[in-house]
Amino acid sequence: MLPRTTFLTGAALALAAFTHGASAEEINALVWCDHTDPAFLEPFTQATGITVNVKEYEGTGTALSLVEQSQPGDWDVFVVDSTDVKRVAARGLLAELKPEDFPLADIPPAVQAPELHQVDGVWRAVPEKFGYNAVAYDKDQVDEAAMRKAHNLFDPAYQGKIAVYDYYLPQITQIAILLGKDPKTVTEADLPAIREKLFALKANAALVSDVVTSQTALATGEVGILVGGGEYAVSGLHAEKPNLDWVLPDEGGVRWQQAIGVFETSARKDAAVKFVQYVLSPEGQARLATSSCYWGMPANAAATLDDTQKQVLRWDEQPAFIANSHLYIAPSDELDQAMQSVWQEFLQH
Amino acid sequence: MDTGERASRTDAVRGAAWAAPAVLVTAAFFLLPLAVMALWSLWTRTAGGVDRTLTLANYARFFGESALVAALFNSLETAALVTVVSLVVGYPVAYALAFHVPARWQRLALVLAILPFWTSYVVRSYAWLLVLAPNGVVNQTLIGLGLTEGPVRIAYTMTATVLGFTHFFAMLVALTVYAGLKRINPRLLLAARDLGAGAVSTFLRVTLPLSVPAIATSAFLTFVLAIGDYITPQILGGNTSLVLPQAILFQIGRRGDVPMASAMSLVLMAVILVACLVALRATRTEPAR
Amino acid sequence: MMPRRLARALGWAAVLGGFYVFVYLPVAVLVLFSFQDGRLPVPPFNGPTLAWYGKVLGNGRLLEAAWNSVVVGVGSSMVATLLGFLAAYGLARHRVPGRRLIHAALVLPLTVSYLVIGLGLLVTFNAAGLPKSLLAVAIGHLVINLPLCFLVAAAQMGPAEARLEQAARDLGASEWQVLTRVALPLALPSLFAAFCLSFTLSWDEFVIAFLLTNFDVTLPVVIWSMLRTGLNPETNAAGTLVFAVSLLLVAGAELVLARRGRAAR
Repeated sequence: MLPRTTFLTGAALALAAFTHGASAEEINALVWCDHTDPAFLEPFTQATGITVNVKEYEGTGTALSLVEQSQPGDWDVFVVDSTDVKRVAARGLLAELKPEDFPLADIPPAVQAPELHQVDGVWRAVPEKFGYNAVAYDKDQVDEAAMRKAHNLFDPAYQGKIAVYDYYLPQITQIAILLGKDPKTVTEADLPAIREKLFALKANAALVSDVVTSQTALATGEVGILVGGGEYAVSGLHAEKPNLDWVLPDEGGVRWQQAIGVFETSARKDAAVKFVQYVLSPEGQARLATSSCYWGMPANAAATLDDTQKQVLRWDEQPAFIANSHLYIAPSDELDQAMQSVWQEFLQH
Repeated sequence: MDTGERASRTDAVRGAAWAAPAVLVTAAFFLLPLAVMALWSLWTRTAGGVDRTLTLANYARFFGESALVAALFNSLETAALVTVVSLVVGYPVAYALAFHVPARWQRLALVLAILPFWTSYVVRSYAWLLVLAPNGVVNQTLIGLGLTEGPVRIAYTMTATVLGFTHFFAMLVALTVYAGLKRINPRLLLAARDLGAGAVSTFLRVTLPLSVPAIATSAFLTFVLAIGDYITPQILGGNTSLVLPQAILFQIGRRGDVPMASAMSLVLMAVILVACLVALRATRTEPAR
Repeated sequence: MMPRRLARALGWAAVLGGFYVFVYLPVAVLVLFSFQDGRLPVPPFNGPTLAWYGKVLGNGRLLEAAWNSVVVGVGSSMVATLLGFLAAYGLARHRVPGRRLIHAALVLPLTVSYLVIGLGLLVTFNAAGLPKSLLAVAIGHLVINLPLCFLVAAAQMGPAEARLEQAARDLGASEWQVLTRVALPLALPSLFAAFCLSFTLSWDEFVIAFLLTNFDVTLPVVIWSMLRTGLNPETNAAGTLVFAVSLLLVAGAELVLARRGRAAR
């Protein structure tokens, strides 16, 4: 017979586990996965005693659904694509930030982009990291020169060698650029042409995948090209897979940029601001730029990166790259839904 | 008479009291959520909110959008294929275990078959990617045997999804059918032999018909669990032809369209219910023993 | 005659051998690359290191999630086993009106996929203003495990057990005594099996746990997010450790059973 004490112990343990977690100071952050690296978070916790609970997502739509499935006050910090800051702020989700709290002067003007991060002259989020959704490739499998021309991606010679990064915003932006459109002016009327071009890309693609599946596919040699890839997909692997590299297409490429803000409903705004300050500090920036999930360019030019890290990130070429790249399409809610539908069709095509 | 009636009423109350907690849990956490979901499926998602006007728009959209109907058919195709392949792989294994392995080794053999599934499902699925990679075990073996010149693409295809599913469900089929085979009275098999039936004929006319209930049970379980699973197709399928659970999580995860996801879930449920009825009929028409 | 029998035996050995190779193939790869010296758990194998095991054992998030999985699994399985047993007893031993309907309702969740159950609970808890939590996951797992436990317990309620219970009643046992002193001990072996089955399902369940948690997550969810946030052999090491613990438990159970079997003889 099962002793009664087993039942009682079990019940007590269960209660203990369900009620624990009310320790000193904690903040909850909704982030891209680069912010989940313990090497990035732990120095902050050690310095301030504030624990950061992170929940990672890919894509603003995912983040917004998570927010909708939560109670007000659940979240304190939000890492979000710069191009979506206004859309998110329009929902009243982001608190006002005081510019004097952050080292904005160390952030290059093109990255600072107040037109993206301010609403009516008020900062709602500050830029923290950027990079490129360009073309990552395996030097052993494909020719570097060919990868500089994005039109080559549609060449049947590469059929089955291509993985497509599963994020509709940069991909649709890249296609718009290839079709000669300015991403800022894309409307629903442009989607049929974009859809056709996407389907042509799908004909060449072996898989559509998230960051890690893409990395796996490149690392195992399953594919030779990652469309929408960039330093974020391969720079972190440079020591072990020196054959992986990336380029920005000559036709113009896509730049991703993340910003960080504080939730309007947060009850722990002071702690949240402290965390944002840490993220933007030179040390925080260096750790974030070389986080285990993916690397990227620090927004703060004073980030303490060493020479190898700068070389892998192509630090010196940044001015040229920034000039030849566009930020993501910043869609209205309606355009966003329409683009998601196109993307769903693309996956299923 | 009066006392008898009262006794039976007390009896009914007592029985109901014992069953009450389970019934309450099922009502509160299963039936109620289904009802809530059915209600949500009649609402619609708008930019930034939910329109609570009752409408069948989500269902109309589901059957009108080719990508979603394709997801339904992909699901049916995958689940059906997985069911058939798992039966083909699992049945001979069950048969070999039940009749060709010494009785005292059988339990150990079963435990050995289950053990690999106590690793994490998610990690195991990723491990399949490595097994199927161009420089993985399978491709290297094929090339080593001279069966193919270059590596064959298996990972990130529907074949990989079916293979990943079969890994688990062949084991499930083997266990279920093994239990069914062990319940067959050995005297029936001896009698068939005594009456002059050969091994094949005994199998086809006695063993196989008697194991139909076990086949139907395992086929049903395989179909239901496979058609509702997200992990295997998401990791192994390469995201190039979505199944219904992937399409449902696309709605919840990326678009925040809970009403649409609810409608699609109810469609999934309806499909499974039909499968359930089919399986019930299959088991009923055959003799139970 | 002899070669034919030998050929047949070899044939069956090949069937079983092929099956075991198939079943163990991904597990072997998983274990092998947990010892990978380097950041990428992909072929080729660079040589053995135990570094990733050190990382797993030092990873607070992972260990906490494993503990959460144990608590959710044990809690939900215990409740499911208990409620399943009580319901089976009530319906088998008493004339409850609408018995078949109740039976059908209790089994119904078996025919619904986990995704649907998880989504339903998500929508309902959201509407009720209840936050995502491990308790919500435990409730989800209770819903999927209750029908199984009920069926296992119901299969145990045979006429032989009924006679023993009636005998106890005739000797003056109260309803409570019949339940706790006769019915429960008789059902214990199958309840134990039901508990083990429930725990196994809960332990590896992903979709419900994924939908209903935010920060305090279960093991499959944390492994999923580790795999999404960076490829490294640490997840392989975690999977291998889970496997090793299961192996030890099974070996332990086998030893106990073997000893009991010897004692009985």
